[in-house]
Amino acid sequence: MTAIRIVVADDEDLARSLVREYLKDSIDVQIVAECANGFQAVKAVTELKPDLLLLDIQMPRLDGFEVLDLVGRETNVIFITAYDQYAIRAFDVHAVDYLLKPFSAERLAEALDRARRKIAKGESTTPTALATEGRAPGTKQDRILIRDGSDVHVIPVAKIDYVEAQDDYVCYRAEGKRLLKQQTLADAEAVLDAARFVRIHRSYILNVDRLAKLELYAKDSHAAILRDGTRLPVSRSGYSRLNALIG
Amino acid sequence: MHPLLENRQRLAFYLIAWLPIAAILSVILKRDASPWLETLLLAPPMSGLYAFMCLSAWYVCLIAPLRGPSIARSLGTLGAASGLSSAIWILLGELWAIALDPWMTTPGLSDHYSTQAATAFAIGMLLYLLAAAAHYILIAVDQHREAEKATLEMQVLAREAELKALRAQIDPHFLFNSLNSISALTVSDPQGARRMCLLLADFLRSSLVLGAKKEIPVSDELHLVERFLDIEKVRYGKRLSVVRNVDPNCNGCLVPPLLIQPLVENAIRHGIAPLVEGGTIRMDVQREGTALEIILENPVDSTGEPMPKDGAGVGLENVRSRLAKLFANEAVVGVSQENSRFQVRLRFPCVQFGETR
Repeated sequence: MTAIRIVVADDEDLARSLVREYLKDSIDVQIVAECANGFQAVKAVTELKPDLLLLDIQMPRLDGFEVLDLVGRETNVIFITAYDQYAIRAFDVHAVDYLLKPFSAERLAEALDRARRKIAKGESTTPTALATEGRAPGTKQDRILIRDGSDVHVIPVAKIDYVEAQDDYVCYRAEGKRLLKQQTLADAEAVLDAARFVRIHRSYILNVDRLAKLELYAKDSHAAILRDGTRLPVSRSGYSRLNALIG
Repeated sequence: MHPLLENRQRLAFYLIAWLPIAAILSVILKRDASPWLETLLLAPPMSGLYAFMCLSAWYVCLIAPLRGPSIARSLGTLGAASGLSSAIWILLGELWAIALDPWMTTPGLSDHYSTQAATAFAIGMLLYLLAAAAHYILIAVDQHREAEKATLEMQVLAREAELKALRAQIDPHFLFNSLNSISALTVSDPQGARRMCLLLADFLRSSLVLGAKKEIPVSDELHLVERFLDIEKVRYGKRLSVVRNVDPNCNGCLVPPLLIQPLVENAIRHGIAPLVEGGTIRMDVQREGTALEIILENPVDSTGEPMPKDGAGVGLENVRSRLAKLFANEAVVGVSQENSRFQVRLRFPCVQFGETR
């Protein structure tokens, strides 16, 4: 049996040393990296391709959910938290494994057993909806994270002009740049603040702050002209959603 | 339910109090020439009967309170009730005497009784009024006890509310993370684990003791803050450093308990924790004339989200409302952020123990 390769991400030295101590005597487990913040965790997962990520939710730079958002499809995750009622509810709903600090060596071993079985079956653990559901209500994400290799781009939501669907990807347009993220347009819509972003078309979400004017394009169809002159198609239902927002 | 009838002990005391009355009545009703047995057949049963009739005074006492504007009417009601009771009692006594008459060695018991009726009637009224007085006292005692119980219950409720507020204030993250640190230290550094336990116990105890008070000297609050920082130093290690500038002249100034500690907690949670390298918290406690000024400053992640002004939040709102309650508009709570430093400034009058504000 090959050892499970684990990345441990927690900003507290003591918390990491506890995991290290618990796993010291397990021969079939190998800690390949220890990370003290979210960026390090994303980098470690991208470069080392571990089997499992032990991920604390509260960390500097990127929190656990953001790390999951960036690497969730590539590795299995066991979350660690001290106390986080919303996150725990989301974990329970989606049957995602988690450890509550302080946890015992036995509890960690159980979680590892479950993860081992999932890895053997080739299952991935973590649904993407987790991040939106696991946060306290009213704490809408104010930035979009996009991974480019092992680098992470952080786009403040206010800087986004519009979002465009492109096959399996979503393209974010911000400050003249195009950044691709592997997700659906519906995922992007769920994350973005509905008071500012409108789905104007099957393939477009618009930041209404960027809208300069609306033109009648053909019967029943409009075009949105942005401040920088970009033209975007507006569907009939998109037009009514837009009207409902800017009234 | 009648307070004497529902309590056997009280009822027993009441009936014992009637024994001397029965004796006096026996003396009054005794015919010179007849044996004591005759009087004992008449007076004690009458006393026993009247003892229970007088219990009805309780209901009269309830509808005729001896205070307020209707006191004259109450006295009238009482007089009428005593007269009526006594009359009924005398009548029943007469009937009893007539029934006994044929069995007596010397006839004329009922006639003798009739001659004593006026005296007996007066005694009856007097006894009824005495019973009423006893009932008034009983009612007053019960009311007092009820009021005392209500006050106690109120105190318990207030204390519970305080504890609940306190529980809400001690961040569960802090508690569980500290326990996790202890768990981690037990093997690598048993001495450190023990020290952490003691720090945590000291912190929790101090917050309970101080939290129950209305106001505490600033020095006590700062002691609590230091315990809190000691614990957080274990968790954050080199990432957390603190610079203090505390004027010893401030130590006697009174503050509401757990005023500064939640602000320090915010500074760590929203300032230090999101920073990879951590940073330095500044804490200034100064006297400015008659005012006490407390300034807390922490670094913030300039690339990340700004310090949540409202969210820093629950703690800051709490501080604002508590200071407003104590000092009205003499208290100032200011929040500012410049470059990557976030600052909370509190300013309010310094009041020492024994001074009035």
